Amino acid sequence: MEQGRHRYFAFGLTLASDLRLPEFTEALHIGDAEVDIRAGAVPSSGAEIGARIGPFVCATKNMLWLRVPGVARFLVRDGREITYAVEATADESSLRVFMLGSCIGALLLQRGQLVLHGNAFEVADGCVICVGTSGAGKSTLAARMLQRGHRILADDVCPIDMEARAVPGLPRLKLWQDAARRLKIGTDGLRRIRPSLDKFDVPLDGMYCDEPLPIRAIYLLRPWNEPRLLSEPVIGLAKYPALRANSYRFRFLKGMGEEPRHLAQCSRLAARVPIARVHRPKSGFDVDGLADLILEDLACRPAS
Amino acid sequence: MTASFFWLASYPKSGSTWLRAFLQNLLTKSPEPASINDLTTGAIASARNWIDDLLGFDTADLYRNEVARLRPESYRFASTVASGPQYFKIHDANVRVDGDRRLIDLNATAGALYLIRNPLDVAISLANHNGCSIDRAIDLMADAGHCLSPHANDRLHNQVEQRLLTWSSHVESWVDDPELETEVLRYEDMGTKPQHAFAAAAAFLRIQTDPANIDRAIRHSQFEGLKAQEERDSFRERSTHSSRFFRKGLIGDWKRTLTRSQINRIVDQHGTVMARFGYLDSGGDPWIG
Repeated sequence: MEQGRHRYFAFGLTLASDLRLPEFTEALHIGDAEVDIRAGAVPSSGAEIGARIGPFVCATKNMLWLRVPGVARFLVRDGREITYAVEATADESSLRVFMLGSCIGALLLQRGQLVLHGNAFEVADGCVICVGTSGAGKSTLAARMLQRGHRILADDVCPIDMEARAVPGLPRLKLWQDAARRLKIGTDGLRRIRPSLDKFDVPLDGMYCDEPLPIRAIYLLRPWNEPRLLSEPVIGLAKYPALRANSYRFRFLKGMGEEPRHLAQCSRLAARVPIARVHRPKSGFDVDGLADLILEDLACRPAS
Repeated sequence: MTASFFWLASYPKSGSTWLRAFLQNLLTKSPEPASINDLTTGAIASARNWIDDLLGFDTADLYRNEVARLRPESYRFASTVASGPQYFKIHDANVRVDGDRRLIDLNATAGALYLIRNPLDVAISLANHNGCSIDRAIDLMADAGHCLSPHANDRLHNQVEQRLLTWSSHVESWVDDPELETEVLRYEDMGTKPQHAFAAAAAFLRIQTDPANIDRAIRHSQFEGLKAQEERDSFRERSTHSSRFFRKGLIGDWKRTLTRSQINRIVDQHGTVMARFGYLDSGGDPWIG
């Protein structure tokens, strides 16, 4: 093993990194890692890498260049390498936030994986994935499920394998101070995801599920301005746009020219997994009511 | 590169949803009124999801100044890949971020249609929307630091922070910008002389149309129709502080609702801009009409 390199296991992959990644599970294995993370030269412009698909993103089928101004530039290549070049005096936490989000997501997409923007937690006979936009309540719900004894598989970046199983991601939940307060989760001693954000890494410890689990159902979380909770099934052709809208960084996929593959993957998943839209009141987040609704909905569905 | 974005700019509660309903009906030419829950024109510029998608990383993980600095870049990029004119609702004042950088990138901008409404009526509507007293709404309209969805370090809004400035400064930031092509649309004119007002708006937005289509779009976006839709289907953009989004839509409601002292406060704070846009008579009093 190369000196000074840390070994990790997550997302079904072995990773070697010159940067310490405390969010990951340390791997005991020796031998070649499937993914290599290291500091190196990353062009200051992505133009030489590929077509511009965002103000700070360029992509080809196998390469993605991403810049987070003031933090770092990243080059994600062949589903095997993440090279980073820190900008100015960015701190390591800030570097990791974007590496473990967008860059890992891009790497999984390069490996041909379907990735949803959501959280996965264990239920009887499998797991549930909750997807939705930022602020929909995914992490708050996952944290509450954790408190209620459900193991967590993934937070935010949720890969899905060929057997319609959710693949375990990082053994942590990212939680805002406000949500932690409401759930009575103390944040003293927890690591901030960035130095000046009151958003914390909640470690999962023994409540991390480290094996892929079959997906029992996918719930689309939708805050609305009505005072009640409501679940409604998403059926037939409506399933594809629902999955597409909640796919992780669909813009990257388009830039990679992988829309046809993504469509096929979504179609396969849609044929196997029920999807429901769950509306919850915007004001007064009744997280237990939401958790109960999902578990009750699930109880009415036969295990596959 | 042709600038392709038209900003539908307004202080909150000045009729932008009404304008968007009109545009949706105008552009789709549907024989039935467009649904208020399907106003695809004028998506709001501050929508976090849109900005996140463009950036390729989450604004939820950014600091306040980083979000402000990256918004102009997002709009600029989005305009370069737009296939034709697009219309975006925006409540931000037309401010500079990060020193001298424009929030609204000129390279992205074809023009700004500025929607203005008598601040005496805005105060009533804003109070209802926010679930606060009218006096509090008047305070907010005079607060140069007032923001929508203020950035918080410990939680997330589904929109990024929008600086409004005072009501007067908001108006002036848009209509007095010498580098921006702007057209002012008065809420009151949308109600009292709709054909003229909406035709001028459509012309400014370079929408090829004809008087019959404009008439139909006006009919399909009449306030009573929008209100009936909300009663039947609910409206997803309604504030949770308020039981109705489409409440009264009245012009001159202030005459019945505001106290003399409330009227005086608004006129004291915003009289100069009110006079300029026809909301005060020659004696400096609110125009009764």
